[in-house]
Amino acid sequence: MIKLTINEIPVEVEQGSTVLEAATKAGVSIPTLCHHPKLTPYGSCRLCLVQVEGAKKLQPSCTLPATDGMIIHTETEPVKKARKFVLSMLFSERNHFCMYCQETDGDCDLQQAAYREGLNNWPITPAYLPFAVDASHPDFILDNNRCIICRRCVRACDELVGNSTLGFEERGSATFLVADYGVPLGKSSCISCGNCVQICPTGALIDRRSAYQGRETDLTHTQSVCVECSLGCIRDLQTRDNRLVRLEGVVEAPFNEGLLCELGRYKPFHDDRVRLTTPLIRRNGQLEPAGWEDALKLVATQLKVHDSAEISATISPRQTAETLNAFSEFFREAFQATDVTLLGHDQTAQVSLELEKEFGAFESHLEALKHCDNVIVLGTDLVKDHQVAGFIIKRQAARGTRVFEATKQPTKLTANATDRLACVTHDFSTVVELLEKSLNGESTEVTSELLGLGTGEVSTFFADMPAWQNTAIIIGKDFATLENLPACRALVALARRINASVLMLKGKANAAAAARIGLNTTATALPNQVYYLALGDGHTCEHVEEAFIKSEFRVIHASFASNLTEAADVVLPATIWDEEGGHYLVTDGHIEHTDRAIVQPENARTIYEVLWQLADKVGLQLPGDWESKLGAVEARVI
Amino acid sequence: MSFLDMDERLIELLKLVDLRATPITDLKEPDEEGVDVGILEGGLSNSYNEEVALKMRKRSKILVALGDCAVFGGVPAMRNFPGAHEALKRAYIETESTDSSGMIPNDPELSTPVHVRPVSDLVKVDVFLPGCAPSADAIFAALSELAQGRIPKVEGELNDWH
Repeated sequence: MIKLTINEIPVEVEQGSTVLEAATKAGVSIPTLCHHPKLTPYGSCRLCLVQVEGAKKLQPSCTLPATDGMIIHTETEPVKKARKFVLSMLFSERNHFCMYCQETDGDCDLQQAAYREGLNNWPITPAYLPFAVDASHPDFILDNNRCIICRRCVRACDELVGNSTLGFEERGSATFLVADYGVPLGKSSCISCGNCVQICPTGALIDRRSAYQGRETDLTHTQSVCVECSLGCIRDLQTRDNRLVRLEGVVEAPFNEGLLCELGRYKPFHDDRVRLTTPLIRRNGQLEPAGWEDALKLVATQLKVHDSAEISATISPRQTAETLNAFSEFFREAFQATDVTLLGHDQTAQVSLELEKEFGAFESHLEALKHCDNVIVLGTDLVKDHQVAGFIIKRQAARGTRVFEATKQPTKLTANATDRLACVTHDFSTVVELLEKSLNGESTEVTSELLGLGTGEVSTFFADMPAWQNTAIIIGKDFATLENLPACRALVALARRINASVLMLKGKANAAAAARIGLNTTATALPNQVYYLALGDGHTCEHVEEAFIKSEFRVIHASFASNLTEAADVVLPATIWDEEGGHYLVTDGHIEHTDRAIVQPENARTIYEVLWQLADKVGLQLPGDWESKLGAVEARVI
Repeated sequence: MSFLDMDERLIELLKLVDLRATPITDLKEPDEEGVDVGILEGGLSNSYNEEVALKMRKRSKILVALGDCAVFGGVPAMRNFPGAHEALKRAYIETESTDSSGMIPNDPELSTPVHVRPVSDLVKVDVFLPGCAPSADAIFAALSELAQGRIPKVEGELNDWH
């Protein structure tokens, strides 16, 4: 431990800490701009200068290592004078007029720093050097005129997201932010995750939709789990007047640490489907508006007059654990319908349960991805399906983490990896065989050839496999099928031998909870006498669509109009993701909670609510016990 | 509006003040022998504004810059990025609602547009009261201090640029 004194306050920090970290620990606040807790200290803005006794000049506290016996002062006259000078220089360089900036009053770190130092005018007149504004991106705008060249965005793009799209051109006051080699953002290699926008301390990168729609303090913040995939990233829902304004990643969240992907940040805003506003009943071949009472009565009657084998029911994995459980209790347990399924084809969660029977707790926390030196990715395109996990692998691959990837389609996962081996294959048992042979030091010639890999590159890549440390094996939907269970077993056994972390990415939102509740996806769906589709705000898949349309009596509970609502006999308007609270079992087995952030339109009801109302109509009691079905799940993850 | 938002406090304030000149009273300029406090709002956008600023400085013991335009240059300073001529061309000739007869006003009586500057770029300013607009509370706090012979400290909540 290192002992130092900051403003007369003694503080102890670990070896390798910076003076800024020590100050935070001592409860001393030092203003910063280029510094961000999730980025490597950079020391470019000089706002965090402090006085170190014995040093001739002021030192930037963000990059200065704390040493034993240091005596630091952070509020002396020279320090305050230096801060005011640094701020004056920053304000003089570009267009930092707050009155016509979106990032104002509490949202802007530069403005906050000026307030903190009591700056009530700019001692240096601005230079008025104009830069072109880049509005080519559909989600955000780059205005170099408001940039302070702190490089937080560039560092976030590289260090956190691993995409390295952003960079700087020119030098000194002419420095400006560019995408790739100077192409418009909208035409660049940008993957639209928007993490640069979130991390920008000023108004240089602003969100198109939420710009000028209120300051942070005018917005209501609701923390909840993202439902676009099953990683369980925590996001901050920012709303105003019952309207979603902006989505941001929560920096304090253990896994995503502030990051979100394009889907998590922008997808809800791209949704232009038409909302259903009233229940509809088909009468004489035409769908006509109806009251909830009539619609529910009709559904209840149809359910009562049919046998359990004549009822099919499918639910979207985007629903909460409470809803999935009520659905299962209603259709599987009460009605004993044989065909009660989860929407989609992804069987990963079911496979994980099967493997658990044999191996016990065999999966790791997602955190394991952040510290691995070797990664094996099987049957999933992380760049598309679980993007934030993809960011973590990409950023590590650029810094020497070895990545072996076997997928059905070519992926863009590790374009800038230093050590990568990839094959495109449908034959996953051969992949496992290759891994086993590599580990045993056997000849991999034949298996390499089957996978379209050169024997030379395979042997180089896996040469020291028995000695691999910190290995993570990521398994996705194309590998983890029930059909492929033997290969999955062999893989988990292999993982045990090299002490690797195993992570099975479990499809959409709450697929893991659905599997534990007993709702499984199936490869096929058949038409039936009654088809109840609890779609919510999700999208359907082809085989369910076909079965639904061909069924005799079709009920759909959905948020948006679609070809299926047009084909249905009863249409019930549903809430959407931000209008309902509940629990989600995320990929690595812990339960996350989400709160309702928006009050739903008058006629929309949650799937959960409607199931209870239907139960009442048919004279059933639902136990509503979802917790015991998911219970003690956390203990099952290592 | 922010000034008027002081509401009934205006009356209290007026009791302490001998208002010598404002653009909306008959007396447009401060007395030649000088005044205690001169308050300027607006950035220096043309040759006339500069004349006013010089005269105010000369005749005021304490000069106050009130509002973001006077303190920083503000909204008029936006035109410094393209330049005054480009801004005038856009406003008088190129706007979608302008017909072909549009022209930049050139009456010799008009003052000449200049590179927009904050007041402090031309003359010494004693009190900066930024804000777009400064809140009624901030204006009242500053003026009541001045009326009682003190120099206001514009800091904390009073220092709010918006």
